Amino acid sequence: MMPPLIGSSKSIEKIRELIDRVADMGLNVLITGESGVGKEVVAQNLYYKSQRKDKPFIKVNCAALPDGLLESELFGFERGAFTGAVQSKRGKFELAHQGVIFLDEIGDMPRSLQAKLLRVLQSGEFSRLGSEKEVTADAWVIASTNQSLVENVKKGLFREDLYYRLNIIKIYIPPLRNRPEDIPTLIDYFIERYASQFDRNKISKPDADAMEKLIAYSWPGNVRELQSILQSSMVIGNWKEIVDDLSIKDKSNVYSTSDQKGLDKALTVDTFLDLKNENSPEHASFSLKKIRKETMNIIDKRVISHVLNQTGWNRTKASKILKISYKTLLYKISDLDIKSSIQNR
Amino acid sequence: MNKPSKLLLVDDNDEILSTLKDYLIKKGYEVFSASDGLEALKLLETDQQGFDLVITDLVMPNISGVGLIAIIKKKFPGLPVIAITGWGEHPEALATEVQADLVLEKPFELSELDKSLKKLLSLELDS
Repeated sequence: MMPPLIGSSKSIEKIRELIDRVADMGLNVLITGESGVGKEVVAQNLYYKSQRKDKPFIKVNCAALPDGLLESELFGFERGAFTGAVQSKRGKFELAHQGVIFLDEIGDMPRSLQAKLLRVLQSGEFSRLGSEKEVTADAWVIASTNQSLVENVKKGLFREDLYYRLNIIKIYIPPLRNRPEDIPTLIDYFIERYASQFDRNKISKPDADAMEKLIAYSWPGNVRELQSILQSSMVIGNWKEIVDDLSIKDKSNVYSTSDQKGLDKALTVDTFLDLKNENSPEHASFSLKKIRKETMNIIDKRVISHVLNQTGWNRTKASKILKISYKTLLYKISDLDIKSSIQNR
Repeated sequence: MNKPSKLLLVDDNDEILSTLKDYLIKKGYEVFSASDGLEALKLLETDQQGFDLVITDLVMPNISGVGLIAIIKKKFPGLPVIAITGWGEHPEALATEVQADLVLEKPFELSELDKSLKKLLSLELDS
């Protein structure tokens, strides 16, 4: 089922118009925007509005797999192509024949693979790993990224020719903080959606005061963050507590991201007791639970950043050192908004 | 010329757009303009019979010039398109691939544009 594209802001209206006009053209699409804005929702809208809607929609996350594995995942392999290849396997491009291949996080695709992707886009041809034979597949390519590919091209991380070839149709989804008028609509939508899973009578909608705070919040995790807040609101049912939590988060974000010096400062109990007085015990939002959570987040962020920088952002290595799963690490990186301090990684 | 030819000019750079527009109006054309591919496509759809030729930049937000040319060639097959570009070899090659009738590299002489326009428009008249 087509996930609805929610919002009445000008930018969302324009994206809708764009989708309607290009869905049947089969032109390469590049969807950009911060994490959590709904790039996959846009990709699925394109797919469902096209004549390919009864064919497969295949998603590949280019950041989640190590280089070699990504290549075999995309293009398939022949028996004996590498140790463990006991039988041949079709790649995602072949599986997406006549349908859509959605290349998520395309900015993380290694350069060596970019050449192979470029060839598929030019001719529709490629070969499986361990085979010379050309295979053709007619897959509509929709790619997405939260990185600036223009910057990546400048740094030599992304092929310029591939950039232009993907960028035939460009759909940019602005972050939620730049279209606050969409927030009430999104809230209504998610409440309605989760209502069926909970007792309808017990669901409380945010009152005017809470709504005002929800609209003012910066939503660094965008629609995905809003969705998870709404989900927890169904369980907690206390809007006051939820919005107080958010305003603390906004303030500590200012404290931890824009004020890097603050983050590097030694953590002391006073740091938490006196966050510009917002965390002082006199303040209504003061709670031990919240302080504990904030502390853990700051410590997690610093430790993970340190290990990532030590390993040159080798996530596999870092997850082993930290003794957490690869998946947990990826989640933490995005949840805690950990960014590389090294240029050109 | 009895009835002036109707042109659609597409560029996201206001300065280029107004310079070209002024020049072409002086040359006796009827000129409409759009600042990106989506806007251009909407104009074409609402005025199906009207336009005689499209002049478009290649690198623009939402529907790029390359995308616009590809869509025009599919939906309005008889409509000639001139691509103007200052973005180097890659967009140029793509414009040729999607069958732009002419690719002009910036900077170009305005008289060169006028000459190409006359040529393409007379070809269209002959066919």
